[in-house]
Amino acid sequence: MIGFIRLVVMGFVALTVVYVCLSFYSRAVRRSKLRKKWYDGKQLVDRDTFVQRGLERYDGSIRRKLILGVYVVPMVVVAVIIYLTNFA
Amino acid sequence: MLTVIRWVFGITFWVLVGAVFHYTLPQVDIVRVTDTYEKRQDIGENAWFWAQADIGTDGTLANRDVFFIQTRRAKGDVMVYRNEDTGWSWPPYFKFDTSNLQAEAADARSTADAPQYYAVKHYGWRNEFFTIFPNAISLRPVEGPDASKGIPYLNIFILALFGAVVYGIWVRWRRFRMARIDPTLEAIEDDFAEKSGAVTRWLGTWRKK
Repeated sequence: MIGFIRLVVMGFVALTVVYVCLSFYSRAVRRSKLRKKWYDGKQLVDRDTFVQRGLERYDGSIRRKLILGVYVVPMVVVAVIIYLTNFA
Repeated sequence: MLTVIRWVFGITFWVLVGAVFHYTLPQVDIVRVTDTYEKRQDIGENAWFWAQADIGTDGTLANRDVFFIQTRRAKGDVMVYRNEDTGWSWPPYFKFDTSNLQAEAADARSTADAPQYYAVKHYGWRNEFFTIFPNAISLRPVEGPDASKGIPYLNIFILALFGAVVYGIWVRWRRFRMARIDPTLEAIEDDFAEKSGAVTRWLGTWRKK
């Protein structure tokens, strides 16, 4: 049981680091894409408002929730390995 | 001199990385199971190469019984596998069915007169000097001693992934070095050359003309 708890805690910490890095990176990429879009577009609103609105839309998007796969994928992999090693 | 140090360091590093992969990744042997046994192990300085007590039991005791599977390999030599839970720790096989595997192995025994061959998936090394044994993961019957071991897709995938990560890091490091470190070093060297030139010239002023 101690081994299990240790794996979960350490895995959670490691994956959280990955998750935080990835979400910051993804947001930065989205921001630069929005800026580029603003430059190329008609520029009806000022740039900060445009980027702000775009990021708010990004915050509610599925694309952002996909980053949660950082937690989901390793859990699925572990479950599959447990099944294959012990029960298949 | 610096080149030699770099080579020695590099070779040592990559041999260690290779050893870790060779130890940890699964391999398959075609064997005939001759017997199974269990033996108390007083694990000492070879503890690195042993897993742990069965999951759920007291893992703090100094010694414990370990299952072993004795085999003769298809190529003729003998091989003894230990059979231990890896549980929730490294390497990540998540093996909990040690006792079941031992039951399978006991059922798989055959004599040289009426041989039955099995493919043993295992990881680890056999080394007589440290008394270490590869850990058996699973057992499946095969037709004969020449049966195929199958293509190690998992190993190929893991090594390719590792290679890709290393290459990615190396490319970025090289780019960073070319952009930032090399110009700085060159600037320092130029600066140094200039300074030492000045010192030599100053010393020159003391020499007799």
